[in-house]
Amino acid sequence: MSRICGVTLRGIEAVKVEIEVEITGGLFAISIVGLPDVAVREARERIRAALRHVGNKLRGRISLNLAPADLPKEGALLDLPMAVALAERQQLIPPQKEAVFLGELALDGRLRRVRGAVPAALMARQAGLPLYVPAENAAEVALVPGLTAYAASNLPAVLDHLAGKSRLEAVAAQNEEETSFEVDTDLADIKGQMAAKRALEIAAAGHHNVLLIGAPGSGKTMLAKALQGILPPLSQEELLEVLLVRSTLGRVFSGGRRRPFRAVHHTASAVAVCGGGRDLRPGEISLAHRGVLFLDEFTEFRRDLLEALRQPLEDGQIAVSRATGTAHYPARVLLVCACNPCPCGYLGDPLVACRCSATERERYGKRLSGPIMDRIDLHVEVPRLTPEELVGISPTAGEKSVAVRTRVEGARTVQQERWRPWGLTCNAEVPEKILRKTVVPGDEVRTFLASMARRNRLTGRGMSRVLRVARTIADLAGASEVDVGHVAEALAYRGRGGDPWTDERL
Amino acid sequence: MNHLEKGRYGEEIALDHLRSLGWRVTEKNVRVGGGELDLVAFDGDELVVVEVRLRSVGHLLPPEDTVGPRKLRVLVRAGRTYVDRIVWEGPWRIDLLAVTLDGSREPQVELFPDIAAGWPS
Repeated sequence: MSRICGVTLRGIEAVKVEIEVEITGGLFAISIVGLPDVAVREARERIRAALRHVGNKLRGRISLNLAPADLPKEGALLDLPMAVALAERQQLIPPQKEAVFLGELALDGRLRRVRGAVPAALMARQAGLPLYVPAENAAEVALVPGLTAYAASNLPAVLDHLAGKSRLEAVAAQNEEETSFEVDTDLADIKGQMAAKRALEIAAAGHHNVLLIGAPGSGKTMLAKALQGILPPLSQEELLEVLLVRSTLGRVFSGGRRRPFRAVHHTASAVAVCGGGRDLRPGEISLAHRGVLFLDEFTEFRRDLLEALRQPLEDGQIAVSRATGTAHYPARVLLVCACNPCPCGYLGDPLVACRCSATERERYGKRLSGPIMDRIDLHVEVPRLTPEELVGISPTAGEKSVAVRTRVEGARTVQQERWRPWGLTCNAEVPEKILRKTVVPGDEVRTFLASMARRNRLTGRGMSRVLRVARTIADLAGASEVDVGHVAEALAYRGRGGDPWTDERL
Repeated sequence: MNHLEKGRYGEEIALDHLRSLGWRVTEKNVRVGGGELDLVAFDGDELVVVEVRLRSVGHLLPPEDTVGPRKLRVLVRAGRTYVDRIVWEGPWRIDLLAVTLDGSREPQVELFPDIAAGWPS
């Protein structure tokens, strides 16, 4: 039987689908079995037209079986393997060795780009099979090393290649060597906000989640966007992971090694952010994998959505379960949240008075408590700029993002070395148990911590967060031990003795 | 020429056309399964049921437009019965041969192959 294979996607994983063909006499008809979805069932019209267009007359009753029979098949990417299997069956091409094909056919035999080329490439590589893809997918497939792949722009080219009449050019493996990347929002372009910039540097270095609190127009969004520019470039493995998610969604890959930045609007549904739907597609959090997930107007987000984010923030991946199956998506993101300090936005502003009542403020504060807050290590206040800063009189022209990135990379290297025995990569990931064992400050620091803990009513978890952030600050400074200065700075990011709006109650 | 003569005349033209294509015509006007097959021929190793449609210039519809879903259904059913009866197990199809009569000129002949393609099976 035929050894022509296609793939279907299950989450971000490609599953091999074998295509079997039977042709019997009778009036022309194509039937496809093996749980095809509508796109696959409609493929018969495309296959018929494409094969006829290349001069192959289909006739008789044609049955196509997609094995394994119990796995639902989806998408137009099975067009090409089915057409090739038919051509082989009709002896237009000699019997083939096992290979994986994917592509959507146009009625005139052209091949269109498909989603899922990278998962398919990984599958083919693991199975040691050659892969045939549409020319438009060649660029993303080229980034998968150790794979034999051929790109074709139409069906005749594939058939001629298989028949040995002409050769397709193999896709040359490409290494994304370029590690530098363009910065959209440069830190140097942001006026003032020295404290917030410093916090972003710490966040980038230790992969700490950040909450930016500030009045409307104080530049929270711009700061969040600037974070993308100071994160180190994606490593080869991370690049593949990012590529995998993108390809699964059929997005064109661009941006080189720059980390993803995804801003989610507060009206987004839990499915849009976490992934799911009938065909179990990855959501925004997976698109932001290895990069930044930005939630602006954090307090406006639906409670259930924020609850749903807890587990992926902890595990770095998200399990999406539906009636149609379960899929696991990567979801290791740096979470950046932004919100106003109170409903009117001007609490603590030096120029504009806050118009909120105490009850309003309290209700607002409640929205900012809860489990997700426990996963945010840095609380940063973003004050409005003074008029001097706005017009650029004050000499606060900051550093370029590139300079900051170099420091961040240095700190990351130190962390990777330190946490390698535990299989961790950055300070924010370190569990409390390991943290307490490894980050043991000196006596002086411990005395300081104890007094501060009393004053700030630090809990055990709060203490761990302070230690984690202090460790990152020390790493940025190149210090091997955490000292009082590092801890003091870390404490500052706890907010004013907790959360600023609960001041009165403390 | 009345309508019956005209029909026979059209089928003569069709027959000539198919022979010129190199097809082997095996049957004419077979009544089967509640329908009639105008011509049955072999295009190589494929059996072809040919539906001949004749129109004179001046009619509102071109001949090929006069076969609608109902006629197609009848043809498919009749064709199935026919291939069963002669025990033909190879592939077969239904073609439409449109003949347009124009008093002054040669009759125009056009062949539409496999009109049942994509027909729900």
